[in-house]
Amino acid sequence: MSDQQDILLQVTGVAKTFGGLKAVDDVTLALRAGIVTTLVGPNGAGKTTLFNLITGQLVPDRGEVVWLGNSIVRLPQWKIARLGIGRTFQDLKLFSHMTVEENVTTVTERGSWLWQPGGAAAKAARRSSVEAALEATGLKDKRHARAIDLAFAERKFLSLARVMASGARLWLLDEPASGLDPGSYERFLSLLRNSVRGGVTICIIEHNLDIVQGISDRIAFLDQGRLLAEGEPKTILSDPALAAIYFGERAA
Amino acid sequence: METYIINLLVLISINAILAVTLNFILGYAGIFSIAHALFFGVGAYAATFAAMKLGLDFTGATAFGMLLAALISLALALPALRVRGEYFVAASLGLQMLAITVFTEWKSVTGGIGGLTNIPPARIFGFTLTQPEHYLVLSLACLLAIILIIRALVRSSFGRSLKALRDDEAAASAFGKNVSVIKTSAVVLSSALAAVAGSLYASYLSFINVESFVLETSIQLMAMVIIGGTATLFGPVVGAVLIILLPAGLSYIPHLPATEIGSIQQIIYGLAMVLLMIFRPGGLWGFQENPKAHA
Amino acid sequence: MLFLQLVINGLQLGAIYALTAVGFSLIFGATKVFHVAHGAAFTIAAYLFWWIFTVLHIAWPVAVLAAVVASVVFGLAMERFIYRPIQRHEGAFFTVFIAAFGVQIIIQNLTGSVFGRGFASVTTSLSHSVEVLPGLFVAPIAWISLLIALVVFTALSLYLSRTHTGMAMRALSENPDLIRVFGLDPGRVAQCAFGIGSAMVVPGAILTSMTAGLNPAIGAHVMLISLAATIVGGIGSLRGAACGGFLLGLAENLALWRLDPQWSEAVTFVVLFLFIIFRPSGFFGRPQAAK
Repeated sequence: MSDQQDILLQVTGVAKTFGGLKAVDDVTLALRAGIVTTLVGPNGAGKTTLFNLITGQLVPDRGEVVWLGNSIVRLPQWKIARLGIGRTFQDLKLFSHMTVEENVTTVTERGSWLWQPGGAAAKAARRSSVEAALEATGLKDKRHARAIDLAFAERKFLSLARVMASGARLWLLDEPASGLDPGSYERFLSLLRNSVRGGVTICIIEHNLDIVQGISDRIAFLDQGRLLAEGEPKTILSDPALAAIYFGERAA
Repeated sequence: METYIINLLVLISINAILAVTLNFILGYAGIFSIAHALFFGVGAYAATFAAMKLGLDFTGATAFGMLLAALISLALALPALRVRGEYFVAASLGLQMLAITVFTEWKSVTGGIGGLTNIPPARIFGFTLTQPEHYLVLSLACLLAIILIIRALVRSSFGRSLKALRDDEAAASAFGKNVSVIKTSAVVLSSALAAVAGSLYASYLSFINVESFVLETSIQLMAMVIIGGTATLFGPVVGAVLIILLPAGLSYIPHLPATEIGSIQQIIYGLAMVLLMIFRPGGLWGFQENPKAHA
Repeated sequence: MLFLQLVINGLQLGAIYALTAVGFSLIFGATKVFHVAHGAAFTIAAYLFWWIFTVLHIAWPVAVLAAVVASVVFGLAMERFIYRPIQRHEGAFFTVFIAAFGVQIIIQNLTGSVFGRGFASVTTSLSHSVEVLPGLFVAPIAWISLLIALVVFTALSLYLSRTHTGMAMRALSENPDLIRVFGLDPGRVAQCAFGIGSAMVVPGAILTSMTAGLNPAIGAHVMLISLAATIVGGIGSLRGAACGGFLLGLAENLALWRLDPQWSEAVTFVVLFLFIIFRPSGFFGRPQAAK
């Protein structure tokens, strides 16, 4: 586990301040390949901001983000995405006036010019990853529906289908399960497990402790922008001090 | 009567080219340009210059106009689109106002406020277009070609990228879309294709002046796109038909002072824009192209 | 001496631009509405003042009051009947922009039909230049412009720093999520922003009628100036918009040293474009990553 080679993404001493508020404060965290790392912590702990700092949507004030040994800290967002870091958003950010199929197809297409590189073989490969993602998320029958017309759970699955089809090696999932009904829930969990078995690395922000226990290999606990603890689920979840912070906030 | 109708049809085709190309950036990419008339003008002046001073035929002159329009739009779009949407609106408005001054003042090329007269008729593959019907065929052919080009673009990966960043720019960049390159290429393409309309217009009328390329023209084009329906292939064509026929329709209303017709037209565009945005933001033709409805 | 003359003329014009641009910027900051019909409020105020004062020969305080009332009513009506219904079903930049643009077109053409398409101007003794130094001519109106700008900006900054609604407006331009923190009704804040922002066109409108004169298309010019000053100053910064206005006014006049007056819009464009290329966040704006 602690082997250097296992580390896919290393965040070191990253900090971001918004007008005096320390949103992320000196966070150091390693995301290891092939496992699920869960970020937990009360609202406003800086979990989403950390995602934004990794994906280049925000530039950290201080600190380093290293992907497979190379610093990515000042790269534009689209370059970071093309390295293999995909994400979902809390507010989904679907391409609402495009169809389900177009939503998924467009993320497989990386070229910015009028044509895609790779010719027919690459096109077939893109096609099949779109189909696989639609199949896995159960959206095959909805392929011609516009994203804006989907039901809530379907929209959540579409946001997952997008990250699946994008071919990302690291998925940063921002509360992907919140608000799902129990049936969708199970499908969602098995989808994640299958993906991890297929070689994907996941970092997930999640509030539901059942899910956290169900899928996490490691847990990182954030509060007020600081990383308070990182370790095995058992250790973190049984720590009374952390529970007090977590449930204190929940109860409030 | 027949020439009158042919004349209207030629003008409709030319305006439809402009509306369709404007819709490409406005409807599909969500980029607001208040400078579309400027690229129409650049196409017209440049093609005239190429035809009169360099002796090029229609294809050569049009290509020259397209190239110039593409370069100017690149200089506008590259910096302005790098930042945020509002900047492009402001920069294109500024460029449109600046262009009016340049078209008026650069007398050696544009003929100043009097414009350019005796523009030679279009010559294409050795054939000289002399009759209005010839121009109708040529402008319809250009319109059709441009609609086909845009249709192909919109359905390609490039079109999907455009729509993606229109719908959510943050998500588009998070999935590897180079937003500024995509937007800039869209603006350059749209401007170059708009220049075709300019070249047609100049050789058809054999006379151009700055009046045709002012802010009001840009507004009129925007009205065509919006009234017809953004992000649809044929909406802007419908819009162009309606708006070109509007003055003809207004002339049937009795007791309307001739001096007020221009104003009334503009007021109708304005009202249509406001009311459509409140009650039917998709325009008359519908908001989104339904991929099944007209494939 | 010519230089000094141009600087003074530039400051006078800059004061007018700054007042207008700050109004636009205030509205944009507090409501995120890109109010391109701001130029229409300017046109309404200017023409109403001109009509009451020059055509009807009624005393100037009445004309000023009418202009203020008209522009405020216009601003409030835009918010209530155009922007709010649109934002209720789809708050897209697109829809709001087109509707505002439509209103601008309507007002411009109605003004032309009602008040005539020619040039309209108000002549008073205030616009007659006086030789204050050898070769330096300054009309009293120049000092009045600067004084009004000073008074209005002082009043505005007091309002924004002393009152609850004012502070909310300032905070909103930095972070729209803060509205709930202040416990205010977003509709009320929007109405205040539109009312105050629209009233701020009045001094500029009246001063323009007494200096450069009016034409129905002036709204488009005002729109360009407001947008340009807001961007040059940094979107969301009122201080920036004011400085942007002064900078554009100065640039336009200093350019007269070498250029003919018809190039004034070209100068505005060049300044705007240089800022977009070299300092897209404006004078005071925080650097902003491309979204």
